[in-house]
Amino acid sequence: MSLLSMDRQTGRWRLSGNKAPLVVVLLIFGLVIAGFLLSDRFGTLRNFSNLFGQAAFLAIIAIGQTLPILSRGIDLSIGSTIAFAAVLTSGLIDNDPDLMLPVTALVLVLGVAVGLVNATASHFLKVHPLIVTLGMAAVLRGLMLVYSDTPVGGTPEAYATFAMGRIDSGDEGLTIDIWSGSGLSLAGLFCLLLYGLVYLFLRRTRSGRNIYAVGGDPDAARLSGISVYRTLLVTYGFSGLCAALAGIYLVSQQGVGSPELAVKGYELDSITPVVVGGTMLSGGVGGVGGTLLGVVLMAMLGNLLNFLDISTFYQWIVQGVIVIIAVSIYVDPRRRE
Amino acid sequence: MTQDTEMAGAKGGAKRLGAAPMRSISDQLNRYGIFVFALLLIVFGGLTTPVFLTSKNLQNIFTEAAPLGIVVIGQCLVIMVRGLDLSVASVMATAAVIATEFNATSDAMIPVIFAACILCSALVGLVNGVLVTKRQVSPFLATLATMIVLQGVRFVITKGAPSGSLPDGFRFLGTGDIVGIPTGIVALLILAAGFGYLLHGSTFGRRVYLVGSNPSASKLVGINSDRVTIACYVLCSVCACLGGLFLVGYVGSIDNFVGRGYELLSIVAAVMGGVALTGGRGSILGGLAGALILTVIFNLVLLNGLPSEFQYIIQGVIIIAATAFYMLRSAR
Repeated sequence: MSLLSMDRQTGRWRLSGNKAPLVVVLLIFGLVIAGFLLSDRFGTLRNFSNLFGQAAFLAIIAIGQTLPILSRGIDLSIGSTIAFAAVLTSGLIDNDPDLMLPVTALVLVLGVAVGLVNATASHFLKVHPLIVTLGMAAVLRGLMLVYSDTPVGGTPEAYATFAMGRIDSGDEGLTIDIWSGSGLSLAGLFCLLLYGLVYLFLRRTRSGRNIYAVGGDPDAARLSGISVYRTLLVTYGFSGLCAALAGIYLVSQQGVGSPELAVKGYELDSITPVVVGGTMLSGGVGGVGGTLLGVVLMAMLGNLLNFLDISTFYQWIVQGVIVIIAVSIYVDPRRRE
Repeated sequence: MTQDTEMAGAKGGAKRLGAAPMRSISDQLNRYGIFVFALLLIVFGGLTTPVFLTSKNLQNIFTEAAPLGIVVIGQCLVIMVRGLDLSVASVMATAAVIATEFNATSDAMIPVIFAACILCSALVGLVNGVLVTKRQVSPFLATLATMIVLQGVRFVITKGAPSGSLPDGFRFLGTGDIVGIPTGIVALLILAAGFGYLLHGSTFGRRVYLVGSNPSASKLVGINSDRVTIACYVLCSVCACLGGLFLVGYVGSIDNFVGRGYELLSIVAAVMGGVALTGGRGSILGGLAGALILTVIFNLVLLNGLPSEFQYIIQGVIIIAATAFYMLRSAR
């Protein structure tokens, strides 16, 4: 079986987007082997277990981005939603343990609401999601800065359990410890569960299949009785939910939410694993499996480059080049040239 | 303002050739609405804010609008061929960094600095264009990737903290004036006239509109659409580079993110000015009006003592509203 195929007419090397996950798996294997050879700290159980927890943030924002892209859209408001959610969470909880759950629930609901507004504006105003979510990002950033332009509030120590908690089986059965260096990351396990559920949702439910139909051809989907609007509500609502969750994760990890998060470029970070994993920006092709592989690849790459003492500056270059290579050889399997 | 009539797209057919036909009110509104809006905004500003129409403030507005306007010219070109350039801000900052790396003190070095920066940025545009045409990468992803790569390159060059200095002449470019007109505006007007001629008066311009409105038809009539598209990306990067050099002259200091946010502002300005993201429509003058409106709004927000956060909110609402305005009108 050959992965790359030569396009007979144009003489260009092509790779069907369907086969992208295979390539990413090969790349991950190559990376692991390189890691074992180049660094003695990379190939330890401790590092892999750390990596499992560290990848959680990227995993959450990437799965959030996957659904809008599958429905032929994109969500660029993720970065601002993350920051807004983080600032709101730590500002409203303000070190009061009783408020942890209600505020978390409120922030998640607000995240979904942001997504629903995105979907509604995009669908009824007929404006490209790129523009709508870009505008939404600016509005949210402004609203957040009106609420607070400095890190605000704080969270009790128990709040760190989500991001920092590790499950360990010791003498007294399963224990969850925040400061433990061993055990399985709670956030990592949560992400695995999330990916599993969304995988089943996309493959096994009608709403999930509708996302592919709308992404593949919105007009055909509409003509065959699928409600495009309802499908968009699902995809953007989900990306808003994931962005809020990612904001909560950051508060849980850092103890406080900072408005600075809005300019970190998370919306762009979230796109990289998705496209590297073979989900096409043209919609309807790909899935969360590829995204998970993309997350593993990017997280492992950053981890290894850190161990090799290669500065973040070069890591950006590597990240950009990987995106360029990926998107320039993947081709939409539906396209016949 | 009327030169773009003959190239209004493939749908006009033979009727549109020759003398400009009569247009309906709604058609005229689409075409000139942005200029009317700009005028109304300025009148509104003058009535509500006393300092707004002072010559000092107007000079400020124009000096600030110039770098954005220069970037918008390029962004308009790329959007007209159904593209999008997210790398403009990165190109601006990289140009500024390269310029300071020369550490030149004499004004005689300015042409050399400009030439070096323009060459480097043209290369970036070439990569963008080749990815989009020859490898059929979506413009969004291609320019996103070059943006990230450039960011890395820039930090590698500066090792994180830009140092070096610019010749004094750069301050003149950013803040000086020629017979009372800010230098940046003079440059912007020259560039706008040049690109306006290129788009509305030359064969290349006609090809840009045709490639943008109907790429497959443009291939059938023998236009090398790939080459036209690549040229647009190269020109866009060069404009971004010039905008960056003027901006660094205006700001007077350099950091790794000169021009941050200009990628979005330039897209907003172009879209507000009637350059459709679907390609093949709009004019540079519209995009420039968009840039002026954005600058005026930001200026009014500041003059009225509103917190600067409102700039973001207004910017976000305007971009959605303006696009919706054009989409709903054209959907009729």
